[in-house]
Amino acid sequence: MALLEVQHLTKNFGGLSANQDISFSVQKGELVGLIGPNGAGKTTLFNCISGLHPISSGSVVFDGKDITALKAHEIARRGLARTFQIYVASGDLNVEENVMVGCFMRTGSTTKAKDRARDILKKLNIGDLSNALVSELPVAAQKRVTMATALGSDPKLLLLDEVAAGLNPNEIEEIMINIRHIHDDLGITVMLIEHVMELVMNVSDRVMVLDYGLKIADGVPKCVAKDPNVIKAYLGERFVREHGKELA
Amino acid sequence: METLRSAFDFSDFPRLDISIAGIIAIFLLVFPLFSSSAFAMATMIQFLMFSLYGMGWNTIGGYGGQVDLGKAQYVGIGAYTTAVLLIRWDIPFWFSMPLGICFAVVWSFIIGYPLFRLKGHYFAIATIATSLVLMDLFGVWEFVGASRGLEISPIKYHPPDFWRLIFKEDIYYYYVILCFFFIGILYVNGFRKSRLGFQLRSIKDNEDVARSLGINVHWAKIKTYAIATAFVSMVGSFHACYIKSIEPEDTMSLDISILIALMAMLGGAGSLWGPIIGAAVLIPLKSYLKEWLGAAAGLAGIDLVIYAMIIMLISALEPRGIWGIVEKRRRRKRQ
Repeated sequence: MALLEVQHLTKNFGGLSANQDISFSVQKGELVGLIGPNGAGKTTLFNCISGLHPISSGSVVFDGKDITALKAHEIARRGLARTFQIYVASGDLNVEENVMVGCFMRTGSTTKAKDRARDILKKLNIGDLSNALVSELPVAAQKRVTMATALGSDPKLLLLDEVAAGLNPNEIEEIMINIRHIHDDLGITVMLIEHVMELVMNVSDRVMVLDYGLKIADGVPKCVAKDPNVIKAYLGERFVREHGKELA
Repeated sequence: METLRSAFDFSDFPRLDISIAGIIAIFLLVFPLFSSSAFAMATMIQFLMFSLYGMGWNTIGGYGGQVDLGKAQYVGIGAYTTAVLLIRWDIPFWFSMPLGICFAVVWSFIIGYPLFRLKGHYFAIATIATSLVLMDLFGVWEFVGASRGLEISPIKYHPPDFWRLIFKEDIYYYYVILCFFFIGILYVNGFRKSRLGFQLRSIKDNEDVARSLGINVHWAKIKTYAIATAFVSMVGSFHACYIKSIEPEDTMSLDISILIALMAMLGGAGSLWGPIIGAAVLIPLKSYLKEWLGAAAGLAGIDLVIYAMIIMLISALEPRGIWGIVEKRRRRKRQ
């Protein structure tokens, strides 16, 4: 049985349809990439799945249970964690404390939460940042802290929202190592939104493409990259008309 | 067991802080032996009371970032519970105080449940409104003496009466509130490192992130609001026995709510020492202003002007108050 089963999910903001009739499933142990041009509805889809936005219609089944009507914190407690694209930290909590907040979902003990937070930070190779304030860190480190925080809650499925956006190639490499560790070693199913194609195409088992709120492709990275609909979405109709033969 | 150990564990503060705190604690313990001034003693008791109010406010307002400007209603509930029970049924302080906390906490759930649907300024305004409504209700409620208030006459009892907390000399009151003060510090010290403390700080950072980490944001706020309320109500009960005369105006007015919040904000919201520092600055100022204004009748209300100016200064210069300045300096030095 699939770990995550989304059926006919539609999300409207007034007259705008951010997600239209989207259906897909994620199997246990998969690493699924979610791509699409800006404004395609990727983050909205994450927000709908994780319960931050109420869904207009459709259903979400996670780990065999219907979570469509559940609140965000209830969904999180069932083992669905996520990161956020823009991380706003007031500077009150340092890195370790941030990760501890995630750990507190599974334990009430401060000592246990602290030990677990240290362990996670070490595993993601950012143990040396423990005492830094999140707001004072470079973007790359901030993104890795958000991943660590989400991991603290010991999820079954982790949704990563643009963890590599705005990073340089070295930093992307490091993030890639982290993602592989989370997926391969910790055995967590991962779904990631990404614009950095090098990363998505490299790590994903499967790639899904959204455009204007619709799912336009779903398959192994190689096939998706050649899909005319996908190329059209990214490069425009004219490009496909003019270079159609080369692409085929 | 772990929570108790955590309450006594101050090891995450620099050694300098702990030494200063230790010296201040010793000073507070021996202060009455050296001072014979009634004015100084009264000011110190006020300082300890408002530190405790501030500590309570700091849990929800500082760590949780929910600016609550209606704490005075809980001062009133605590004070009235103790006064009414003592006057009507001769029920001593040590029973009426916990009962007052129960009433206040129940009331805080009734208020908090709908109010925490609101955010930011709207929440602050709503807390002011509920507090003022309660004050007006007490002002017309004959059972509690309406606007005349209640008077505890010490002649009926035989001071020093530890059971009812009726004393002639302020020194007894001083040591009682000092005990509460130390317990309050230990409690908040444990609280800030507890699961709820961390969750609250995360809520202050970003509520959506907090939700996605499995935190029931609404419930966490209500719970903490109840903790803050318990602090305030406890000191309110003490206030009734100490002042011995309570009216809706001087227990539940807006000035008190503002002063409580200001205490913590000036000293440093969201830090353990903040409310104490704030009270140490504001209470002598308040006492002085009262003395001074007592002479010049035309200047009534200038204290509010001064508080307003302090609020503006804090928000413009350093939103995290005096303690925020200290921490910023330290951070810069380390780099």
